[in-house]
Amino acid sequence: MAKKEYSIDIKDSNLLYHEEFREMETEEPEEVPSPEKEKFKIIGDYTPRIDGERIVTGRAPFTHDIKLRGMLCGKILRCPHACAEVVSVHLSRARSLPGVKATLQLKKGRVKYAGEQVAAAAAVDEKTAEEALKLIKVEYKTLPFVVTEEKAMEEGAPQVHDSPNIDKFNDYNRGDIKKGFESADVVLERTYKTAVEIHHTAETHGSVAKWEGKRVTVWDSTQAIFNVRDGLAQTLRIPASRIKVIKKYMGGGFGSKLGLNDYTVAAVLLAKEAKRPVKITLSRKENSLCVGNRPSSIQTIKAGVKKDGTLTALYLKNYTCGGIRRGDRCSEPLIDVYKCSNVKVEEYTVFTNTGAGRPTRAPGHVQGTFALEGFLDELAHKINLDPLELRKKHYTTKNEGGTRIPYSSKGLDKCYLLGAKKIGWGRRNKKPGEGNGKIRRGLGMASQIWWGMGRPRTLADVKLHRDGSVEAVCGTQDLGTGTKTYMATITAETLGLEPKDITVKIGNTEYPWCGSSGGSTTTPSVAPAIRDAALKAANYMKNQTAEKMEISPDDVIIGKEKLSNKNDPAQSISFKELLKEMRRERVFHGEYVGRPLGYAYNTFGAHFAEVEVDIETGKIKVLKVVATHDSGRIINKLTAESQVIGGITQGISTALFEQRVMDEATGNMVNPNLRDYKIATSFDIPEIEVAFVDMVDPRINILGTKGLGEPPRIPIAAAIANAVYNAIGIHVSEIPMTPDKVLQALKRKEVG
Amino acid sequence: MKNFKIAQPKTIDQITSLLSEKRDKYYLMAGGTDLLGEIKDEIIEPEAVVDLTSIPNLSYIKKEKDGVRIGALTTVAELAKNLMIKQEYPGLHEAANGIATPQLRNMATVGGNLCQRPRCWYYRDPQVKCRKKGGSRCFAFRGKNKYHAIFGGGLCYIVHPSDLAPVLFALDAEIFISSSKGDKSIPLTDFFILPKVTVSKENILEPDEVLKEVKIPAPKRGEKSTYYKLMERGAWDFALVSVAVKANVSGDVFKDTKIVLGGVAPAPWRLKKAENMIEGKKITENLLRQATKEALKDARPLKENEYKKELIETIVYRAALSLV
Ligand SMILES: Cc1cc2nc3c(=O)[nH]c(=O)nc-3n(C[C@H](O)[C@H](O)[C@H](O)COP(=O)(O)OP(=O)(O)OC[C@H]3O[C@@H](n4cnc5c(N)ncnc54)[C@H](O)[C@@H]3O)c2cc1C
Ligand code: SF4
Repeated sequence: MAKKEYSIDIKDSNLLYHEEFREMETEEPEEVPSPEKEKFKIIGDYTPRIDGERIVTGRAPFTHDIKLRGMLCGKILRCPHACAEVVSVHLSRARSLPGVKATLQLKKGRVKYAGEQVAAAAAVDEKTAEEALKLIKVEYKTLPFVVTEEKAMEEGAPQVHDSPNIDKFNDYNRGDIKKGFESADVVLERTYKTAVEIHHTAETHGSVAKWEGKRVTVWDSTQAIFNVRDGLAQTLRIPASRIKVIKKYMGGGFGSKLGLNDYTVAAVLLAKEAKRPVKITLSRKENSLCVGNRPSSIQTIKAGVKKDGTLTALYLKNYTCGGIRRGDRCSEPLIDVYKCSNVKVEEYTVFTNTGAGRPTRAPGHVQGTFALEGFLDELAHKINLDPLELRKKHYTTKNEGGTRIPYSSKGLDKCYLLGAKKIGWGRRNKKPGEGNGKIRRGLGMASQIWWGMGRPRTLADVKLHRDGSVEAVCGTQDLGTGTKTYMATITAETLGLEPKDITVKIGNTEYPWCGSSGGSTTTPSVAPAIRDAALKAANYMKNQTAEKMEISPDDVIIGKEKLSNKNDPAQSISFKELLKEMRRERVFHGEYVGRPLGYAYNTFGAHFAEVEVDIETGKIKVLKVVATHDSGRIINKLTAESQVIGGITQGISTALFEQRVMDEATGNMVNPNLRDYKIATSFDIPEIEVAFVDMVDPRINILGTKGLGEPPRIPIAAAIANAVYNAIGIHVSEIPMTPDKVLQALKRKEVG
Repeated sequence: MKNFKIAQPKTIDQITSLLSEKRDKYYLMAGGTDLLGEIKDEIIEPEAVVDLTSIPNLSYIKKEKDGVRIGALTTVAELAKNLMIKQEYPGLHEAANGIATPQLRNMATVGGNLCQRPRCWYYRDPQVKCRKKGGSRCFAFRGKNKYHAIFGGGLCYIVHPSDLAPVLFALDAEIFISSSKGDKSIPLTDFFILPKVTVSKENILEPDEVLKEVKIPAPKRGEKSTYYKLMERGAWDFALVSVAVKANVSGDVFKDTKIVLGGVAPAPWRLKKAENMIEGKKITENLLRQATKEALKDARPLKENEYKKELIETIVYRAALSLV
């Protein structure tokens, strides 16, 4: 095992998603079961979370709660400089402090942002570990740094890597952009800015590592137990077969807990050296600095449009900053959603000496949608068209703006209808800003597109015990979305039981493989896999029953806790009875095999917002949000609605408050806490109405269900900005839309 | 965070002599909502904290003929729910009610609120040694200063974070101070100091001095007060700008007006010019705007906080008109 030197292969934020999604699109299963049209009883109903009570009463164990015998506290020393050469690290004084059981140097060479890990210590308690860090002597040679994208783009700015700070990473062309602009009657150009956001999960990041001989067990607050396992195997060259990763409950991830983290490696190494379990939990400050963020963007959109509203050209230039890593690809919505033959996209990363960007609940799409949808509203106004009509006019049933392959299903048109009706779209100002008074009202909307198609080869088991009990098992992790509950729901539905009758086991790499809980993939991966396993179990039971009753298995129907003869309902056998007669317990392996190629599988939605803007203070108050979504069949309405409400809550926070603030002189983040980094409070969240179009996708998987994790996060900030535009007659074009920026925008308007 | 001891003396005298003996090593703690944050963030590293709450009878709201006495350990929550305060000093009630969150209001004391340390994010960063912490430079001056002072700056540009201070200022409050040398009482207006006077602290208190009581004179006939606080989010936020207005109001004519701003200066900031311009006149939005504009000519905004001027103009007229 490599001891002191290793590097972790953390993929760039959005690229990671892209590679994964592209990969998902390339394999076609041999046989694709078509989705069931069946009417379900429990699936699609409102089912409370089976673990809800444990969580709200504080009995659900989170990684922070884990206590093992002899467990040490690990702490990480982080570089205070935005850029420096680590000249030397002296651990000996720390190591000889009583109570310190292990120390580690984690960095040689150049440190590229303030907060990067340099060394670590594990001690018998937190205090001693903290003291140990103070005794570690690090000699730095500080170097010039740059922490804001504006400065990083300037000529002569300090270079973050050994290459220029600006790096093109996306170049997309379709049609002829030049011709497109030539045939336009109106050309409009606007620039939009979005701030760097921190994930700020309720539970900060953390890992516990424990060695037993050559095997190591890691309890991790993660969205991806298998990625953590494989990442550790790769990084430390330990066979994957000797690593077990467990995740019980977690307090959110939003993308910042996808895959292996450097502190997890530190915990494993410290535990090895100390020969005792080690727990590392990060502080809120560490969470602000070094576990990821949503890259910022400066997007300029230029479009050409005919008088009748036809889009002739769409051009996007994006400068996105993900710190020392690449920024986000923000162009997908622009490339995909609206019909347009001539599109050009150029995206550039700007590197700075700040913490690495990482997928953040709908990476790229949140930023891209804010710009695109804001732009469309201004465009609609320019040509005197209702913004919703402009969108409808460019509706397409094929992806890439109508130029490539058909969507397997698309309910966006239904979302428009439903949302417009529920918000009372007719009430909006016909001309933006036409109202008067000090408090202005406005309505706005925005469309959403995302993937959400599920990972082929996801596995899940259903196990029938002889005593009549049932297990549903999958190596997935519930990142707070209710995975456990629908595993129980689907198994129960299939076997004629209640969710409470099912014991659900997840969060362990010894269970059947499942990918990370990211990209809105969990439900469309796990739900069909568990349904497949449960159907196999049901078939087995039907066969057994048929044999006993001497009828055809097709004539056996599953009822409430029993199986009976379709033609003679009085003839039945109870579920328990049947299982008792098995000679041994039985495991049924389910799999999500994938979906046919040749179709695009996407989720859609539209948000409608009503706001009030105080034009003398610049304060925006969101009065109401209507969220409509097409995420295929909805498996559990209760948790699905919660998911949407959560996404909107976060999105309102993005729209109005959240922003990492970097200081150019010190290179530090000045708001690495929850007081200065502002997140929406309950006072800021209005009435939220959720409506699903609930269509069954005809081919994506046997349940016809798509993802929902990220979609509700995507259009909300744009819808709010558009509502503000409708209220005051100027698009603020920069999030967060804090009072100072709204006042500034109003001044721009006065100037004209 | 370093370990520290906790001292729980039983009398004020013991406290002040302990604080006098262990200057700069022992820190006074009331509710601890600010002090413990400073310790955890490693802004200060006391050897011990001296627990003021071990002193009996420092929490009270007593109405007397010439005014009301508020003990230093009265919590902000107690102040907010006191009916007499709500009736006689509505501005104080509003200010107390808008502070932080219910949890914090339950712990935070009136004394602590007036003596709390600034929220400048450079000050709260243990890695930064700015002028207030004995360094040679104010990082906010050319740095990130959206939330900083537009009045009263120089050397340091903090804004005083207390919401109670501007109202108590407007209400002509007096404070009582105990020290190892004896007791004294001073008007609140003399309590706060600007960085130009002493950059390292925000008030006149010496390390061995304890704020014991706040006294507010009984309201005169026709006296009204209000507090208007503007925050970025709906709750749990310090003021972007705030204003306390007190006046003797008859009809729409204001007399003896006090307009005191919060969130704009290192101490509560009176708009004397504006007060003078409206004295005895019929109040209108226009007049108030003009008066505030005049007073705002003295403002010295930094790069990112010019917008505060506009906000002040708005809140002053809105607060004042709400008294009519
Ligand atoms: C997240 C957050 C949000 C907040 N929002 C607001 C807000 O919106 N508006 C607002 O006004 N405040 C706000 N506060 C500040 C809060 O009101 C103060 O922390 C609180 O009032 C301090 O009171 P305390 O009793 O807890 O003081 P402590 O924390 O015990 O002490 C604070 C300071 O005052 C000194 N001190 C305390 N009592 C005395 C005394 N009697 N004599 C001399 N010195 C004393 C202490 O030595 C210490 O330096 C917020 C605080 C937090 C943490
Ligand atoms: S404003 Fe004051 S506290 Fe803030 S950096 Fe400047 S000197 Fe320090």
